[in-house]
Amino acid sequence: MCETMIEVCNLRKSFGTNEILKGINLTVKKGEKVVIIGPSGSGKSTFLRCLNFLEIPTSGTVKIDGHYFAKPNEKLNEKHIAALRTEIGMVFQRFNLFPTMTAIENVMAAQIKIRKKSKEAARETAEKYLKKVGLSERMHYYPSQLSGGQQQRVAIARALAMEPKAMLFDEATSALDPELVGEVLNVIRELADEGMTMVLVTHEMKFAKEVADRIIFMDGGVIVEEGHPQEFFSNPKEERTKAFIKKVEH
Amino acid sequence: MNLLEKLDFSTAFRELSPILMEGLGIVLASTLCGFSLALLLGTFIALGRISKYFLLNKVLVVLLEIVRGTPLLVQLVYMYYVVPLIITLIGQLWDPSYRFTLSPFMAGVIGLGINYGCYLSEVIRSAIISVDKGQFEAALALGYTNRQAMWLIIIPQAVRIALPTFGNYIIMMIKDTSLLAFITVSELLLRTQAYASQTFLTIESYTILALAYLVLSLPLAQIVRIMEKRLKRHV
Repeated sequence: MCETMIEVCNLRKSFGTNEILKGINLTVKKGEKVVIIGPSGSGKSTFLRCLNFLEIPTSGTVKIDGHYFAKPNEKLNEKHIAALRTEIGMVFQRFNLFPTMTAIENVMAAQIKIRKKSKEAARETAEKYLKKVGLSERMHYYPSQLSGGQQQRVAIARALAMEPKAMLFDEATSALDPELVGEVLNVIRELADEGMTMVLVTHEMKFAKEVADRIIFMDGGVIVEEGHPQEFFSNPKEERTKAFIKKVEH
Repeated sequence: MNLLEKLDFSTAFRELSPILMEGLGIVLASTLCGFSLALLLGTFIALGRISKYFLLNKVLVVLLEIVRGTPLLVQLVYMYYVVPLIITLIGQLWDPSYRFTLSPFMAGVIGLGINYGCYLSEVIRSAIISVDKGQFEAALALGYTNRQAMWLIIIPQAVRIALPTFGNYIIMMIKDTSLLAFITVSELLLRTQAYASQTFLTIESYTILALAYLVLSLPLAQIVRIMEKRLKRHV
């Protein structure tokens, strides 16, 4: 049994001549909650997207629960990448629910097509996770009939229904009206308490402090500093970190 | 002289409408087959144009330019008279007794299908491009392959966006089936021509023909409008 869930080794990513990620190493243990913060343009979202190969790294490796997306210098295998992505749930800033499907159909679709579950089994799982995010009564609504917070909770249920080994949250509350942020954070907090491995990119500093086992501060495509949240916020070591914390805590 | 006295709409209507009714089946069949072929071709051309294969893309652009740069009527005549000859010539390289023929109806359906397929491909392509990129990423993140994401998530949404435009193209195609008269398909125009030249009821015959096309296309236009409203609900 391997204790490491996500292992990133010397990851680099360039868009054209513009190098966004400049060699990142990170290990996330099973059950660990890692929060990535940093100024906009620091590469934190790109990094998160590299963790499930939505962005293909220019060099370096990503290993999920002992499996490489692609071994060093190996050709990309689309089927293998897709299969490995199934093991990692991802929640997007803009929800990205499928608009032609109701909430429950959104949660069922990939279970049936990708996990090859029967319709009945998929429905049962979908109902379980929609209940978990508190949307049992709305499961036959279309995304356009749901509020942002409700849509995001369906998106979380959709990811969870694949029973992933880890979850990635890409600024999951940034597109929400302030009064809807709480309901989504509550769901994420509950997941954290259940021991789900997760990596979050967020601007919610209070939430980061509360839920994180480890905070990672990125700037300019590198990890500037990382540490335990208490230590990190009260006693930052790097100048850039200090300046950032001062700015966000005004 | 009273002009109206010289017109005999009742006779023309009585005699011509059964003839037109017989031709209606051909109009509907050629539209249905032609449009199905056009949808199939249009989808594959659109996917080819979106794909990253440079050469395929260029070949398709050349095809599109040829089809859009020549009249449909010329294409239909070419498909009926020329294409079978070319295939026959090529076939005779192996078997001197080889002969390839295409029925007027088949030639018409293929001609309409290719022509409309090229125009529809642009509709489909822009519909696919207009689906939010986040949809594709969400599907990939759930473990869909590129192809699955395209066919199961993106294309169903693109279809909803394109459907009203498809409706308009179907109406256009119904009207364009009149061109099949020139390759001897006995659709409405050819039947009307035959009747008018026998009876000299020229004004009456062609007026009835025009009305017949209106009767076909107006209800369809209404259906398209209703469909457009219904589909807009959730996208």
